[in-house]
Amino acid sequence: MADSSWLYSFPEMERSSLRAIRKTLDGAYKEFSREYGDLIESIFDPLLSFLIWFEKLLLSTPWWIVLLLCTGLVYVASRSVKLAVACFVSLLLIGYFGMWEDTMRTLSIITVCTFLAIAIGIPIGIAMARSNRVQSVVTPMLDIMQTMPAFVYLIPVVMLLGIGKIPGLIAVIIYAIPPVIRLTNLGIRLVDKEVLEAATAFGSSPWQRLTGVQLPLAMPTIMAGINQTIMMALSMVVIASMIGVKGLGQPVLKSITNQYFTLGLLNGFAIVALAILFDRASQAYAKRTQAHLGDQKHD
Amino acid sequence: MKLKLAALALLASANVSASECGSVTIADMNWSSASLIANVDKFILENAYGCDAELIPGDTMPTTTSMIEKGQPDIAPEIWANSVKEAVDAGVKEGRLVFAGPSLIDGGEEGFWVPKYMVEQYPELKTIEGVKKHAALFKHPENKDVSGFYGCPAGWGCQISASNLFTALKLADANFELIDPGSAAGLSGSIAKSYERKEAWFGYYWAPTAILGKYEMVKVDFGAEVNEAEYFGCTTIEGCESPKVTSYPASPVFTVTSTEFSKKNQPVMEYLEKRGFKNSDMNKLLAWMEQEQADSEDAMFYFFENYPTVWKSWLSTEAAEKVAAAL
Repeated sequence: MADSSWLYSFPEMERSSLRAIRKTLDGAYKEFSREYGDLIESIFDPLLSFLIWFEKLLLSTPWWIVLLLCTGLVYVASRSVKLAVACFVSLLLIGYFGMWEDTMRTLSIITVCTFLAIAIGIPIGIAMARSNRVQSVVTPMLDIMQTMPAFVYLIPVVMLLGIGKIPGLIAVIIYAIPPVIRLTNLGIRLVDKEVLEAATAFGSSPWQRLTGVQLPLAMPTIMAGINQTIMMALSMVVIASMIGVKGLGQPVLKSITNQYFTLGLLNGFAIVALAILFDRASQAYAKRTQAHLGDQKHD
Repeated sequence: MKLKLAALALLASANVSASECGSVTIADMNWSSASLIANVDKFILENAYGCDAELIPGDTMPTTTSMIEKGQPDIAPEIWANSVKEAVDAGVKEGRLVFAGPSLIDGGEEGFWVPKYMVEQYPELKTIEGVKKHAALFKHPENKDVSGFYGCPAGWGCQISASNLFTALKLADANFELIDPGSAAGLSGSIAKSYERKEAWFGYYWAPTAILGKYEMVKVDFGAEVNEAEYFGCTTIEGCESPKVTSYPASPVFTVTSTEFSKKNQPVMEYLEKRGFKNSDMNKLLAWMEQEQADSEDAMFYFFENYPTVWKSWLSTEAAEKVAAAL
């Protein structure tokens, strides 16, 4: 009987050795955070002061200037009166329901996250498109980033950097960056080989081919990736607030633990409104600037 | 063949005994001590009372709400009455909930804490006056101009008491700012981070917990006695206008069951009334869990092995024998 017990129950690793592995790895991580925590924290310091400065800027600017500025930006980007009016009205409603400050906080961190994600993501996407080896390394990493439950890496990051904006920003970027990388890669790979050959035949350098042919032709796909990144960044607002990032996520958390459904819904809608504004404005901008591509668009 | 027979016998006996007690759901709260108690209850209910017990993941607020509204889960093994006072009291008044007995005999201990290594360096930090005097030590993570006080996570009952005491102790005048850590994990993460690097930390926490078992902290003396009238009349009420200073009273920690369950299962209720842990035992168990990285099931077996006098005192001789046989 005892000999064939592995037939009935999975031959597991000894509990004690599993525990030993867990203890060793945890100990090593703690050792690491003790040793290098301050150094790593100081690397992020400039970013943290920028985040704080930007948030203070949005908070201390009178509300009507921010309101007009946002509406103006949306109009300039989209050239659509309808969208500008929608932006104006939804921001007014957000303010009227007492969510102005939280919305500004969320707006500031999400804006920074989105720009960082784009600035990091597009070069990685380009590198992936140019080399199959890079692609085969990066793709599984993106899979991990998108599926790994956020708390698994959040708490170690908190141990390293403390609670607040920087760990929140890292969590948001980890979750939100994959679409822009994937779709930049895909967009460039989908550019017609013959168009590239023609460009080469005209004697263009690799840099010219990239900036003059590949990126413009891939732009609709890249823009789709950017949109997804914005949406996913906003959906992480609540998770980020679980490690002390101020903003719309905090009232959401508070209302779900206390079951204040209306409060939760209101703040949820404010997040949705921000997401839709970001999305529509950037999409309209992209469509407008790519109008010359005609039927090349595939969105 | 032997195996089959044994399995059949087991099934049959499970069927017979399960019909006496039926299926029971136990809330498995998402913190260690409550989860350990839930596992102990499950094991004892299954083996001594023949229940068909099931653990349901939970958290204070959702679990109590569900118990009041739906009568499910049947047993919540560790409810900190102060933190959900209104809801639980209303539930008891409406006859939907029953207090079965204390699950932590000494009650829970809440307070504002500073790490021990800081008190060794600045003995004055033992009192709130000393903390205010040395406010500059406690750096705010995001704002260099103010000091940081780590409050209780958003939405928890203790958020109200901690922020009222923050006002009462005039910590804002001492240049402190209340930080919302967002979640229990965020709060304990911030303690762990500070402790590992011997940095300053000042904030709200509670015991018995693995964090306070593992990291030695000193409870800050508010310089005021426990004033229960003030505590329950103002400190724990949201929006109380002029909170006054009072120490935290020991929080009663109860096992709560749904009324329906308590009526049907008298023998189990008798067990639940007797079942209670001393803080000293619980702290040791939690520290063991943390040190060994054990889960609550491991800790349950550790508890049954190492504290036989404790659990045998909760059970009749017959029931205790059944449990011992199942180990």
